[in-house]
Amino acid sequence: MPLIRRDDNKTAAPREPVADAAALTAALGDPDPDRRWRAARSLGSDAGAVPALAAALAAEQLPQVREAIMTALLRIGDAGAVAALLPSLRAQDAALRASAIEALQAMPEATLPFMTALFADADSDVRILATELVRNMPAETATPLLCDLLAHEPHPNVCAAAIDVLAEVGTPAAIPALQACASRFAEVSFLRFVVAVAIDQISGAEH
Amino acid sequence: MTRPGAGPSVAISQQDVRRLCEFLYRRTGMSFADNKRYYIDRRLAERIAATGCGSFADYFAMLRADAEHEIEHLVNSFTVNETYFDREEHQLRCMTASLLDELLTRKGPDETLRIWSVPCSTGEEPYSIAIWLMEHWRDVDKYNIEIVGSDIDTSALQKAEQGIYGERALMRLTRDVVARYFKPLSPGKYQIDPGLRESIRFTHANLVDAADMAQYRDFDIVFCRNVLIYFDDASRRIAAENLYDCLRPGGFICLGHSETMSRISPLFRIRRFPDAIIYQKPGADHDEQQ
Amino acid sequence: MTSNSEAGAAAAPRRILVVDDSSLVRLYYRAALEKAGFAVDQAINGIEAMEKCLVERFDLVIVDVNMPRMDGLSFLRALRGSAPEIASLPALMISTEAGQQDRDDARAAGANFYLVKPVSEADLLSHVALLAGAP
Repeated sequence: MPLIRRDDNKTAAPREPVADAAALTAALGDPDPDRRWRAARSLGSDAGAVPALAAALAAEQLPQVREAIMTALLRIGDAGAVAALLPSLRAQDAALRASAIEALQAMPEATLPFMTALFADADSDVRILATELVRNMPAETATPLLCDLLAHEPHPNVCAAAIDVLAEVGTPAAIPALQACASRFAEVSFLRFVVAVAIDQISGAEH
Repeated sequence: MTRPGAGPSVAISQQDVRRLCEFLYRRTGMSFADNKRYYIDRRLAERIAATGCGSFADYFAMLRADAEHEIEHLVNSFTVNETYFDREEHQLRCMTASLLDELLTRKGPDETLRIWSVPCSTGEEPYSIAIWLMEHWRDVDKYNIEIVGSDIDTSALQKAEQGIYGERALMRLTRDVVARYFKPLSPGKYQIDPGLRESIRFTHANLVDAADMAQYRDFDIVFCRNVLIYFDDASRRIAAENLYDCLRPGGFICLGHSETMSRISPLFRIRRFPDAIIYQKPGADHDEQQ
Repeated sequence: MTSNSEAGAAAAPRRILVVDDSSLVRLYYRAALEKAGFAVDQAINGIEAMEKCLVERFDLVIVDVNMPRMDGLSFLRALRGSAPEIASLPALMISTEAGQQDRDDARAAGANFYLVKPVSEADLLSHVALLAGAP
């Protein structure tokens, strides 16, 4: 029989001694990526580690270590963690932006207080990405946020991004804002199209 | 067919179904051709009735919040969710036709090949893997193979250790294979041969608990089917990182046939083999390390 | 999932993979492309797009930049580094990112053309025609 069974956990890596927070935060800057990865993974239950995780995120180049840092921040899940993730929305690196959006989407309650400022950001690229952050919020929270954005938003791409989220999460209360948006951008055929689809989809829920 | 227990039916519009399908596609990757929509309609009506929701909007809110694991209940209502031996045979074929050859180029003759089935439920999968290897892999006698089955449900694990199954679970196995690896107990009941039962270790494991998962390391292949897709965003990320740590560099992870890593994690590479798409932990060779 | 992936029948329409995380954008492109006679499949991010490219034949991929888990630039770099039969797949990148650096990044990642959203149906179809020919 070639099958073997081991009932001990000999194969498991020897347990590392439990490192203290100072050692772990220092390890976030270690030249060895495995150590940085393990340090980030260990810091997800330590709200005091947010400044160190934020600094590590700004410096980290390896995508999987960045992923672990962001997971640690979302596990901490407080306002400080959100604030540590937000600068990545402005990154030139698209992969970093995508990871940050995903992490922030997983912590909708903590992200909610930042939405007004994000939707008022001077950079339309940031406003576009920010629309994704309300996707996991309850319909009653997401709908007014997105409708307020639509009412003032000058950039058609920001509107389109908001409408895409509304098509999934919006309540029929969004229909007037959608109609107003379509008439404001009557010359943009793409926006007319997405508004029509979104209204159709949302009003299906009225029956 | 009648639908016993379905209460007064709630009106579902075409738009509702489209909205639901878009949500399911984004969330799980499952997509339904337009000609399957009538089928969705019926299942959806059943789930709305079963959850006691008064409208599609209420039900959709419940689904979006994933209250009471409703996403899993809904998906299960679309799919046959039976476990039986050699379910997803294409992955087992992929293992013996492609994965093992690649893994063994990096292994010395004395090293153990380690395979993990998690969650293993009542044991059909780890036993299928063992039987498949003995039946279909020419080098099976040359290497030490260790198979571990783990689950969060301890009563399922007890059943796995007993290894007693009915006819339905064995439907994909030939008579010869059943005769070789099972002992008839009573009409319609079969028990896995004691030698095989004792060669597989069954353990408790919680995929989202990093401390618990730390005891599982150095696996070459992990079969992790039909569970990650149902976790919430945070748990999915944590579980993916835990599994990453459980694999050796270059180790493979096999998901369920309707699951895609595109809804789970960016940590793994996508590999296409003749029999299946399989995901791989990077870092087996130097040129792919950044 | 569509099954007409086998190239063979001369009359089979050209196949386009639309990769965008916005369901409305996918729907908009799909409506325009199908009306023009193309066959269309979709993916929500770079990972799903890669999975599809590895098992099915396409004549063109239309790809967004900002998408969850694998962005469009990472996808194009992975595609261009793949086996020869898919590495040369023409790619039209369409994004909201309008900076010169964004265009340069797209070119460097392997995009054949780069358009800034919102695109009109006419713009979409004329660029598709340049890369994929007639349906």
